[in-house]
Amino acid sequence: MKAKLKKLTPILYIFIIIAMLALFFTNDFGLLDIHKTSLIVAVGIDTDGEEVQVTAQVAVPQPSQSGDSITYVEVQGSGLTVADALNEINVKTGTYPRLLFCKLILLGEGCQSEELFRILGCFYRRNYSELTALVAMCKGKAQDMLALPANIAPENSTAIQKVLSEELKKSANVSTANLKSVAETNYSVNGACYMPYVEANVQGTSQNGGNGDNVGGESGEQGGQSGGGQQGGSGGEQGGQGGGESGGQQGSQNGGQSSKQEGGQMEFTARKTAVFAGGKFAGILNEQQAFALNILKNEIRLAVVPCDAGGIHYTVGLKSTSSKEKLKIVDGVPELTLSFSAQAQIQGAKIALEPESVMSDDTVRDDILKATEDEIRSRLESLVNTCVEEDCDVIGVKGLLHKFNYKYYETFKDDILARMKVNYDIKIVSLN
Amino acid sequence: MGMKISVRQICFILIMYTAVSKFIIYPTVLSHYSGRDLLFSALVDFAVQAVIVWAVSFLCSRTDKTFFSLLEGTFGNITARIIFGLFALFFLVCAVIPMFEQKVYVHAIFYDALPALTVFLPFFVFAVYAAAKGFQNIGRCADICLPIFIVSMLFIFAMSISEIKWDNFLPVLKTPAKNLFGASILTAFRFFEPCWLLMFMGHFKYKKGDAAKITLSYAAGALIVLFFLAAFYGMYGDMAVTRQFAVSKISLFFPAIDLIGRIDLIALYILEIVMLFAMIINIQLCVYCISKCTGYNNKAVISIALNAALVIMLILLDNKLSELINIWSKWMWIAFVIFANIIPLLAWTLRRRERK
Repeated sequence: MKAKLKKLTPILYIFIIIAMLALFFTNDFGLLDIHKTSLIVAVGIDTDGEEVQVTAQVAVPQPSQSGDSITYVEVQGSGLTVADALNEINVKTGTYPRLLFCKLILLGEGCQSEELFRILGCFYRRNYSELTALVAMCKGKAQDMLALPANIAPENSTAIQKVLSEELKKSANVSTANLKSVAETNYSVNGACYMPYVEANVQGTSQNGGNGDNVGGESGEQGGQSGGGQQGGSGGEQGGQGGGESGGQQGSQNGGQSSKQEGGQMEFTARKTAVFAGGKFAGILNEQQAFALNILKNEIRLAVVPCDAGGIHYTVGLKSTSSKEKLKIVDGVPELTLSFSAQAQIQGAKIALEPESVMSDDTVRDDILKATEDEIRSRLESLVNTCVEEDCDVIGVKGLLHKFNYKYYETFKDDILARMKVNYDIKIVSLN
Repeated sequence: MGMKISVRQICFILIMYTAVSKFIIYPTVLSHYSGRDLLFSALVDFAVQAVIVWAVSFLCSRTDKTFFSLLEGTFGNITARIIFGLFALFFLVCAVIPMFEQKVYVHAIFYDALPALTVFLPFFVFAVYAAAKGFQNIGRCADICLPIFIVSMLFIFAMSISEIKWDNFLPVLKTPAKNLFGASILTAFRFFEPCWLLMFMGHFKYKKGDAAKITLSYAAGALIVLFFLAAFYGMYGDMAVTRQFAVSKISLFFPAIDLIGRIDLIALYILEIVMLFAMIINIQLCVYCISKCTGYNNKAVISIALNAALVIMLILLDNKLSELINIWSKWMWIAFVIFANIIPLLAWTLRRRERK
């Protein structure tokens, strides 16, 4: 009997191994049959009364040997919840109802009147989507924005993601946010959150009179209705009529095909920041205020600040930045200290270049450093004032009170923004 | 009597299986009850268990006998069999929640588009075979699993450490004591490691200092869990309560994942092997207890019957994980306190022959 068992043991082992391997390799490893599937890469959300309209940008892989193997289509659904609308989209696309490949969630301006987490709540339900998707609000309707042809990528969701990227975040030019960061700050004691505000501009136009901050150009709304936007426009219209109904084919083709069109393509910018307090829209920070928020909240690799010194306009690059928010209760008064330090380098000046003077630019003059400090201070002041006026704690003052001054939390939690005194400690030194 | 398991293997078991059995839903539940003070709730449970682990391992220094022999020598054969019958039931209870959690986890993370039950049933093919094996097999599996465990944990921690916000834990210990200790009690059913040691008693050769080694190994397992909890809560903060399957969530924000996809799944696949053995150990010990209780030595038959019972349970209670966790949290903790805490301590009162 024992001898038989000994003989059988290796066979049993092999059987087990085969069973385990079969189990392991029957998994699809996330690979999908491209003939049968389509992937939601971005969603735009608009509101229409009680209903939400969701426009999904769907990547439809095509078997191709030419390399141009993906087309992007906008498909719309609507319903009382985002999940209803997504379900309708899923019915139309045959995509499995999860958003694992969705990298961008774009909220239309109409969402400003709604509770933010009534709209976004669906994405936080258990395992429906990972919380890595970027979140942004856009000017106008999200469905129009997603239908605009982009100039820097075949499909505009990628183009928008580029202007919300981690790289851009490191230059303080965008307040990048994802599902996790938005919910984390909103549901913290701060009760406020922020996300970038995306605008579309006609390609090749730029805002005049700028000092480096006023990025932009002609409004994207026109572009959206003309040029490449014709496709998007038609998609939007159809979607608008058919949303929520059992309608036929909706949406438009974009991306891979539209990118081949000449002209009418759009550029996207996200220098402004939409802020929310208590889950409700509280306003939009302008470029300077958003910059101030970004240098406080993000790790900055190189930020660019315009300033005037000695009657000359300079563009100063800031490296090795460090920022800190500190809250102390001094004599019963909360004192917020916003510290910022950086090493400065002149990157541009509104004067003719004299080669010999460039050498001396290596050491930035004190008056330019002072002008830079003043510029940063004014931006920080402007940000703090807006936060106080809107009672929107995107800086995280209540969080500082809760974490580091807990015994005063109950006393100040309701009105700390109005009662606090703010100190600014800004140190800009020359890089060399 | 030939020694079936070594102290080294017991140490490995306590390091690995203690940790992996608490990586799936435990962090989410703890975040719900204790919030940012979840580490303290976990610490309470681990500290109690560590004391009991030390007590049991130190008892091993005082006797060569197995737990069954000690019971038999004190209460007689019938009582010893009854107590082992109760332990068999207890190990079955211990196996239920990890098994259901694994089923849901494997389905959600690896086999999203396939029916959960179909995917999980092949597990029992392996469980029948493994559970029929004795302590020697348990020890060898631990030897094989340790390198796998170390590599996968390093991989997962390396991908998550940069995203941990340590200030998410501030202010410290402001959660009401009722919630803190309540969470410890509600999650007490996840702590049964001293019972493993009780069953290993007499099956390994005790040398001087082994009690310290075994206790320190348990502490190492506890530290891994505590660090894991810190990583999970530090990353998600108040949103941690919405994230199930913690082990698959803490490496999601690693920057390279955006570029090259879910490489963390490789580590999760590897770790799944360790989780598999950690899940099976309770079934193995249940078979051992039934064998001792009934005196029937054909473990293969017992294993088949036991796994058949588990399959039936799995089919009948499919999609009832939340209800099961509720029942285990509210009622079963009493059984765990008795079997995993009180009985191992009472083992000191059993009549034993002093070691020579």
